[in-house]
Amino acid sequence: MANSYLKSESKKLATWYFTVAATLFGAQLLFGLVAAAQYVIPGFLFEILDFSVARMLHINALVVWMVFAMFGSVYWLLPDETGIETVGINLGKLLFWIFTAAVTVVVLVYIFIQVGAADETSIWFIHEGREYIEAPRWADLGITVVALGFVANLFMTGMKGNRSGIVTVLMADMIAFAGLYLTGMFYTDNITVDQFWWWWVIHLWVEATWEVFVGAIAAYGLITMIGAHRKVVEMWLWIEVTMLFGSGILGMGHHYFWIGTPEYWWEIGALFSALEPLPLVAMFIHVLYDWGKMQGEEDAKGQEISVITNKPAFTWFVLNAFGNFLGAGIWGFFHTLPQVNLYTHGTQFTSAHGHLAFFGAYATILVGMMYIAVQGKNGIKVLNNTKSTIWATSMIVGGVVGMTVALTIAGYSDVIISRAQMGATWAGYFDAQATTWLVQGMVWRLLMGVVTFVGFIFLAKDLLTIGKSANHVR
Amino acid sequence: MNAMFEPFVDVVPSFFGTLAQGPLTLTIFLHTVIILPMFWIYKQEKARLEQEGN
Amino acid sequence: MAKKSVWSDNRFWQRTAAWITGFASVLLIWLTFDTSAQISMGTDADIQSGVTKRVPGPTVINYKIAYEFNKKRQHEIPVIGGMNAEGTSAFQEKEKFFGRDDWSEAEASEMLRLGKLGSQSKNCMNCHTLLGNGAYYAPDLTKAWLDPAWGPTGSMQAMTGKSTKEEAMAEFLQHPSQYPTHSRMMPNLGITAEEAKGLVAFLKHMSSIDTNGFPRNFGKIQGAVNGK
Repeated sequence: MANSYLKSESKKLATWYFTVAATLFGAQLLFGLVAAAQYVIPGFLFEILDFSVARMLHINALVVWMVFAMFGSVYWLLPDETGIETVGINLGKLLFWIFTAAVTVVVLVYIFIQVGAADETSIWFIHEGREYIEAPRWADLGITVVALGFVANLFMTGMKGNRSGIVTVLMADMIAFAGLYLTGMFYTDNITVDQFWWWWVIHLWVEATWEVFVGAIAAYGLITMIGAHRKVVEMWLWIEVTMLFGSGILGMGHHYFWIGTPEYWWEIGALFSALEPLPLVAMFIHVLYDWGKMQGEEDAKGQEISVITNKPAFTWFVLNAFGNFLGAGIWGFFHTLPQVNLYTHGTQFTSAHGHLAFFGAYATILVGMMYIAVQGKNGIKVLNNTKSTIWATSMIVGGVVGMTVALTIAGYSDVIISRAQMGATWAGYFDAQATTWLVQGMVWRLLMGVVTFVGFIFLAKDLLTIGKSANHVR
Repeated sequence: MNAMFEPFVDVVPSFFGTLAQGPLTLTIFLHTVIILPMFWIYKQEKARLEQEGN
Repeated sequence: MAKKSVWSDNRFWQRTAAWITGFASVLLIWLTFDTSAQISMGTDADIQSGVTKRVPGPTVINYKIAYEFNKKRQHEIPVIGGMNAEGTSAFQEKEKFFGRDDWSEAEASEMLRLGKLGSQSKNCMNCHTLLGNGAYYAPDLTKAWLDPAWGPTGSMQAMTGKSTKEEAMAEFLQHPSQYPTHSRMMPNLGITAEEAKGLVAFLKHMSSIDTNGFPRNFGKIQGAVNGK
């Protein structure tokens, strides 16, 4: 779309980031479908694109598309919040191309080389074989450079322009986000030490810094989409930061129950992570309360119009409020206490939580940001839903919730038979895999995965075409 | 009363292991030291608001 | 009195957020130092002098490893080289590993290193779980070394036609698709004989890590109690 209403270079860069993010989102779903199909048809792509490769692509595409969309979101909101053009925008554009090129190379290596010999060369150039952060070390270094450049732009812009509460939170949060990545790069022979630091990246990203990021984006969205009052929104944001970091940082203990770390993590992990749902409840209340409040003010004036200036984006923000609370909060709390986790650790139940949490907490709000970008790019005052919006939203949400339910049910037999009854033995594992609940659960998961993927096609079509629709207020 | 104080649960002795006397002591201790200074921040901010109000 | 409440004051919450984040981070770093000291890998000298480490040294592969219920801790713990009077590792009873029970610290470390590198480069974690973390497409490997399926009467050892557990495991790892154990098979990952040996050492070492009783009840399953 050549004719763009965007004047800000920062916002243009944001749209590039969103475009790659949406593409990788599609790749994530596609490889997820391959992996899901392999549960149902075991010989599918055997020794061509094995489960391990498909799953690696599935979860890496997930992490990377979210990072792309997060960078895009920050570049999008910076000019609005600071009142100035982003400092170092040319560096930002250069880093975007480096990042995109690096991701492309990494993906091609994953698909075509797959595994290497047991040596450091493989770790440097193929992959590190560590779930979620498999990227080979050369890419790790590249990602670090890109992340530091991004943080530098954010800091320079924040210090030069108007530093709002949202920008202050983002500055603190993004430097932690970039710095934490460094803890996941080194090699050790000691698997316990390996996993200890591995969680520093994974946990402190998704259960601390990313959640705070979501709080900041939600705050921005409430101000821009329903005209919520900045003072109220920013006070909530600080309360959310307090609760998220207060519970999330030491809540990391819930990953240290069984990996060889000391027993005191049982207490720390249990009681801090048990508090982790609280800020998610707060965010949920906050979004719905502000919406009701702003609409109520409008209604009191006798106006019969909605306060929402971007219907699709606001839908996704509200879905984020629900999904974050349900997926990360409820499904996370289900198995965060050691007495439960002893049996649920490493089962399909974990997988159920993973799907709903990543989707509810992050995918939703980032898709919302994409719609905000579409609105800005096309110079639309009020963006309304199209038929595709409704199909996309309902199929994706229905699909992910369906997958979560299917995996939760599959998780019952995995937990009860493989773990509780059979002590996680080889035989116990396969006994559980053969149960009706697990077998049927996996079929349902595949079907719901297909629904999600079809929803994604509607989403892609909608993001590309909604700007041309005639039913908006321009 | 003896059951309230255990010599040690961990394999290797450590500071945090020592604080973990039974199932709750360590986490109560940590939560408390985190919350307590909030009272001080509260008082300071209250004083500031009162001053600004005059 | 329309006095402003501290509870609705942004500065109060900003300072609270800063305090809590900062202090939680400091505690985490402190705990990390404490934990790091406890999870550092032991040495051969530790084993020789009977010092129990949460993560024992690589020469643990020279010893018999079992996973036994401990009365004091009320869950199963790894017991290395037989059990002493307190129900913990005696570090006495040896067990041959690929025909030897005198692997030096250097040799054992090298094997473990090869195995750990192999576990990463072959992407084990994206099908299996290690210490319970990873994917759920294949069995947990935390105590795989002690699994009855690989024991003398287990189906896996019989299938490969080998007479010891380590040889059976190494054979399977090199030619997994020759041994269809289940409709969901392990793919051929180009694992060499040396790498397979390293991977088995890595698995044996991992089974000696004190995981606070995870996986629970594993030792109660027939055949697993006495390890090999």
